Amino acid sequence: MSTYVLMRILESAPRRYRLGIRLLTLGRLETVYDRLTAHLQADDRVLDLGCGPGPLTFRAARRGAAVKGIDVNPEMLAIARQGVEEAGLEERITLAELSVAELDAEPGERYDAIMSGLLFSELSRDELTYTFRQIHRLLKPGGLLLAADEVMPRNPVKRVLHFLIRLPLVVVTYVITQQTTHAVRNLTEQVTAAGLELISQRSNFLGSFLELVARKPAGGAG
Amino acid sequence: MNTIRYLWLTLIQTLFRMFPFPTRTGLIPIGNPGRDAPVLLTGNFRLTVERVKRALRGLDAYLLVANSRGVNVWCASTGGMLTNHQVVAVLKTSGITERVDHRRVILPQLAATGIDGGEIKERTGWRVIWGPVEATAIPAFLQAGMQAGRPMRTIRFPWPRRLEMAVAWAFPISLLALIALLFWKSAVLPMIGLVWLFSLIIFLSFPLYEHLLQSGTQHEGFVFFDFGQAKVPLSFWALFLCALIGISLLSGTFTWTLAFRWGLISLLLLLLLSMDLAGSTPVYKSGLHADRLLRITLDADRCRGAAFCERVCPVDVFVVDHHHKLAALPRRDQCVQCGACIVQCPFDALYFRSPDGNMIPPDTIRRFKLNLMGSRTVQTGTTTPDSLSPE
Repeated sequence: MSTYVLMRILESAPRRYRLGIRLLTLGRLETVYDRLTAHLQADDRVLDLGCGPGPLTFRAARRGAAVKGIDVNPEMLAIARQGVEEAGLEERITLAELSVAELDAEPGERYDAIMSGLLFSELSRDELTYTFRQIHRLLKPGGLLLAADEVMPRNPVKRVLHFLIRLPLVVVTYVITQQTTHAVRNLTEQVTAAGLELISQRSNFLGSFLELVARKPAGGAG
Repeated sequence: MNTIRYLWLTLIQTLFRMFPFPTRTGLIPIGNPGRDAPVLLTGNFRLTVERVKRALRGLDAYLLVANSRGVNVWCASTGGMLTNHQVVAVLKTSGITERVDHRRVILPQLAATGIDGGEIKERTGWRVIWGPVEATAIPAFLQAGMQAGRPMRTIRFPWPRRLEMAVAWAFPISLLALIALLFWKSAVLPMIGLVWLFSLIIFLSFPLYEHLLQSGTQHEGFVFFDFGQAKVPLSFWALFLCALIGISLLSGTFTWTLAFRWGLISLLLLLLLSMDLAGSTPVYKSGLHADRLLRITLDADRCRGAAFCERVCPVDVFVVDHHHKLAALPRRDQCVQCGACIVQCPFDALYFRSPDGNMIPPDTIRRFKLNLMGSRTVQTGTTTPDSLSPE
């Protein structure tokens, strides 16, 4: 799933984003998101980081959760808003134009689950550390982190393979949008360093895509 | 050693000046900064970061590098890549709040087209202070108690900058000339020579013909080769043709084929090089941007003389009468339609008027940024206080 780098092109045209992602990932991302949101319960209070047009947000809301989606891209949010209206989910979904850096305004231990789809690979090192600190603070004890992202393969051979497959895609994307994503290094270590317990993880063959569920330990400071 | 590295970097980055070069974002301590050291912020274009670091040598300060996607501060702020979100993100996540006791961040003045000082204050508690246009003026700016006089606030186009632009244009276009390798090998070297010669002449002789670019009387339509500006490349072309014919006649090598071929090639190269001549200078608005036709207008009833406009205008359009608390625009013709004054005015007293007389409200200028072709389509923020509060 090296194709995530091509998302940059789609992001520059938010209206085509949803269809484009589906084509690029051959529907695999949909399956990943279905699996992740299956961990939610009805009436959970959920935060979706970097919600974009809302693939995770809507899934969570349909399962009966009350979701707050945040994103910095107002065009993406506009599409998400339109979707909320069409689906009649106004009661369950709140959207806000916020960056992860502004999570400190939220009261602590507020959420049963925090979701993040393909956001971590867009953040700088500092932002990522900060975000994990906030995730730990915002989760209720026993609350879940549900995340899926592009990661750097651990196996050196696969890393080279991944690099080679990704290179042409990176070049094309860079030429069109002058942007790129950077696969996250040591994502699981960062999750545990933030004081969360890893419950399950699932990776693709190349080890370049990681889907993980982690929990904030119940009781104790963690 | 550092100087050699810096020169090497400058060379490479200048050759590829037209392309973004992202560098690591976050906090860079300069010297031995204490708890009251000044905090400066810039974008993550590699060359910019190196230049700011160099300008700050010998000082004790903190430098924050915000994510402008590897683009220089002015373009990134005007194009919606360096926005409030990026500034808020680096202020909150870089750990700077634990390092200093004050909450004042100095932003490059040219970021005023995209960053809203009021909103940064509201979201982070940090007060934005507009620094000078050029990084080299930072030490003087700090020494003057963070006051920027008019020379520090005004953008110029001196010969080192003109040389930089000449190289930045010549290099990619001489790469294009390599295409001729496929069908006319012997012409490649002369063509590359011409590209560099023209580019250097065009930019170094800029002060001689500058008045021809005056944008005051622009007409709409024909965006690519705005004829008001094509006078310049066409004059250069005429000069070159005279020289070509003169020299070949004198040396006895003149043929009509030669004159025709190189006449045509030189015309194409000149047009290519001066495609966006005005836009390659910081002192004239790009001929490709529809915004060049807009006229900055003051709503005198709203103006309270707060002088934000005077502080952020890079071309010195404004004079504020502090006694009567009112701004005036005595040098409106110099406006490059960057929109910084509109974005910063706390009373919404400034706006653009389009050629057909329509008003473009400040909110539009704040929210919609320019894309590469100069249309305002990039939306950078819709945040209102309501949409911020959860549930």
